[in-house]
Amino acid sequence: MSSTVIATDELKPKAKAEEVNYLNVEHTISSWLLTGDHKRIALLYLVSTTFFFLLGGMAAGMIRYELTSPAGVVLESDTYNKVFTSHGIIMVFTFLVVAIPAVFGNFLLPLMIGARDLAFPRLNLGSWYMYMTGGTLILAGMLFGGVDTGWTFYTPYSSMYSNTQVSLVIVGIFIAGFSTITTGINFVVTIHKMRAPGMTWFRLPLFVWAMYATSLMMILATPVVAITLLLVVFERTFKLPIFSPELGGDPVLFQHLFWFYSHPAVYIMILPAFAVISELVANFSRKRIFGYHFVAFSSLAIAGLGFLVWGHHMFVSSQSMYESIVFSLISYLVAVPSAVKIFNWMATMYKGNVVMASPMIYAIAFLMIFTVGGLTGLVLGGAGTDIHLTATYFVVAHFHYVMVGGTMLAFLGGLHYWWPKMTGRLFNDRLAQINAVIVFIGFNLTFFPQFIVGWMGMPRRYHYYYFAPEFQAYHIMSTLGSTVLALGFIWPAFYLTMSLFNGKKAGPNPWGAHGLEWETSSPPPVTNFLETPIVMDEVYDFDPEAEHAENRRRIEAAEAAKSDERKGSMEDHQ
Amino acid sequence: MASSTHTHEHHIVPTRTYVATFLGLVVLMVMTVAIAGVNLPAIGPLSGTVVNQLVALLIAVVKAMLVISIFMGVKWGSTLTKLWVASGFVTLIVLFGILGDYTTRQFEHQPGWEKQADGALPRVTPNEPEVPAADSNTLNVKIRQ
Amino acid sequence: MSAITDSMDHGHGHGHEPGLHHQYEDMVQQTESYIVGMWVFLTTEVMFFGALFFIYTLYRWNYQRDFYIAHEHLNVLMGAGNTTVLLFSSFTMVMAVQSAQLKKRMHVMGYLVVTLMCAFTFLIVKYFEYASKIADHLYPGAGFATDAKLAFGEHAMEGGKLVANMNHVQLFYGLYFGMTGLHAVHIIAGILVIIALIRLWYNKANSVIHDYVPTEMVGLYWHFVDLVWIFLFPLFYLMPKPH
Repeated sequence: MSSTVIATDELKPKAKAEEVNYLNVEHTISSWLLTGDHKRIALLYLVSTTFFFLLGGMAAGMIRYELTSPAGVVLESDTYNKVFTSHGIIMVFTFLVVAIPAVFGNFLLPLMIGARDLAFPRLNLGSWYMYMTGGTLILAGMLFGGVDTGWTFYTPYSSMYSNTQVSLVIVGIFIAGFSTITTGINFVVTIHKMRAPGMTWFRLPLFVWAMYATSLMMILATPVVAITLLLVVFERTFKLPIFSPELGGDPVLFQHLFWFYSHPAVYIMILPAFAVISELVANFSRKRIFGYHFVAFSSLAIAGLGFLVWGHHMFVSSQSMYESIVFSLISYLVAVPSAVKIFNWMATMYKGNVVMASPMIYAIAFLMIFTVGGLTGLVLGGAGTDIHLTATYFVVAHFHYVMVGGTMLAFLGGLHYWWPKMTGRLFNDRLAQINAVIVFIGFNLTFFPQFIVGWMGMPRRYHYYYFAPEFQAYHIMSTLGSTVLALGFIWPAFYLTMSLFNGKKAGPNPWGAHGLEWETSSPPPVTNFLETPIVMDEVYDFDPEAEHAENRRRIEAAEAAKSDERKGSMEDHQ
Repeated sequence: MASSTHTHEHHIVPTRTYVATFLGLVVLMVMTVAIAGVNLPAIGPLSGTVVNQLVALLIAVVKAMLVISIFMGVKWGSTLTKLWVASGFVTLIVLFGILGDYTTRQFEHQPGWEKQADGALPRVTPNEPEVPAADSNTLNVKIRQ
Repeated sequence: MSAITDSMDHGHGHGHEPGLHHQYEDMVQQTESYIVGMWVFLTTEVMFFGALFFIYTLYRWNYQRDFYIAHEHLNVLMGAGNTTVLLFSSFTMVMAVQSAQLKKRMHVMGYLVVTLMCAFTFLIVKYFEYASKIADHLYPGAGFATDAKLAFGEHAMEGGKLVANMNHVQLFYGLYFGMTGLHAVHIIAGILVIIALIRLWYNKANSVIHDYVPTEMVGLYWHFVDLVWIFLFPLFYLMPKPH
């Protein structure tokens, strides 16, 4: 492969030390709960985010079941409001924002840049505790009565009228927000100051670039939503009237401040997905990524533009139409860096040696789904068309195409890709490939009908549609699809867990990928590298000619083996 | 990498610099209190009230710069530190872009729009009474009487 | 806590400078990382208070006269006094950091104690200010003063006519209690951190006596709290009369 680090098999005298890795160095529970090791904290995050994803998924299941009949099936209107709010809050604040940065970012960032740990290990552990505290408070709010405001907490409903656990849940989100901020601080400082010798900015894997852009937005945007939501709590509990219209306050101001965070938050959710996909596409195409600099800077461009488009959530909110025009225009600009990424990934695959392993299938599914999600975003970004589509299922379908089809698929792809590195075990890739196809089919079956029914006028957040029973066919299709999708989410849990017990040992680099994280053993030792790596080669430094030759050799060998086998079996028959 | 050479031997600022800074801050504070009691004249399109406020803010900004550069040591810090110091304030300017909404709402109500049968929807319908001038605000909020 | 520190201490084969954590190569890298990290954190604080300042700007701009009338109840002398106290505490804090760089332990502790005293003074003055507002029914909510003339006397009048809109006055006090309250919360957090720091210095803890950076970071936080007040003071206490 390459000469970046001392190849692990050259270290015969240290072979014994290699067997001790971050997983087996200590076994007590306190060694996990008080760890400073970024790899262990990543696994803590993996378990906890999966738990919250399961809860959010259950709420989604209830929503889909309720919508199979035009008059609703089981839920009261109030209960339905609480269920979709729970789904939104849990999925956004405890899963999507956290999942990829806190799990893969935590695990891989130091490995990819050749550091021993993140800059502030204790802060990192603290961020997990903050996340768990926030998550627990959110769940407590759901249990003690729930919230019915929707995940956006629009005032004055949330501040003056809603008689549910708004304050408790907001405090939970506030604390979880701090966990996001601390993760962002850790990443920024680590990327700036902890890179291994020779790891220049333009040798960084694209994963690191996108994580940097994500962290920027976490740091600069999260405090705004923290204070905005805190003011809602102040209004509810201390009667400080900030958004109260009857005293001259402006509820639309809440929307401005909320979306000043929450639009960047959309990119906090999707940029890490771009991070993962860049790694998958480059490594499974066995080719240096096409236009490395463009992909790297497009992440920063998305981060920058992401701060300038919040108003496109507010076209119908009594916002000035001049501002709507400007926001519509800038929203269209965001399509440029996004398209740069999509086209560069496709150009990378072109004439590459594409290996159809399960992570790559997820990546290709991501490309298809995200393109649909992104293009429908343009429909909604137009100030005119949006007025027709505001608060319909078209919007719901759009952001699920981006969030579920984008972030969730990238999460699954990344999980399969780095699973051997995290656990040191190989899983059954055939099962995983089938699962990727199931997820793709289930996803499209769930959300594509929602575009159609939304365009026809089905409002979001309604649990009945007796006024238009012809929508039922689409809703049933969608519910069927969500069942398939659920299967696709649950199945990996089984075969990945099985791999821990009966999976083959993974070598340092089971995928033949390129990058510092693949040059240390799997699972990595506690200090990540036995010696500080010195980076000598460029990023994604694949040799296409050699890869082609290797590919040919492999195919020929397989054919030779097959013909040998045939010959052998023929001889047996004789 | 923005690693700085002078952090090897961290810069020790002499006490007199700190004393001078502190005294400067106190003088500025006295100045801003004194100026607040004086009605400054209007300058061009800015009314006197605005001039007063701008002067007060200008003094506050100078004080803030003193604290940031000397007390917080950014003057002797690395380029990276300086970039991060700037980043928060730059993003804050973007946040203040929300004002763009409130300042442009008034231009939306173009005379003649409400008369067109299928023109853009006006903000205030003609038969609704105008908000009294004393309470006029651009927030589109009705005042409780 | 100690379990974490222990698990972090193993396996750094690079130098044995006291106070160096295992993930860093040398003190230069560590110091720079901590300073940058602290500034990144302060950036989030800038945005946190920045949003509040934005809300204030918007309402002040819309309700100039009512905000001016409402601000008449604030005591400029108390505000100016508190500003001086905070500026002085910033000065003593910076002297504490300088003494930490020079490794003068007793000086550090002395300066930190003076800083702490200033912080308490600030809170006590704040308490009297809040008490006078609450006594005059200027705390927002159902019991908020309704009679502008009673609350503000002549200030609420213009040409013999009542001009104050008490709804907007209530909005002003909502912002006043919200913003100065959050600032006070930051002061209280600062007090706790400074007490912890004094304890570390008193116990001659390795983390502070070999490395001035922890003291410097507390200092940065404290200066930031001062910085917020530098803007709060003119915005709330020193409103120009609309003319």
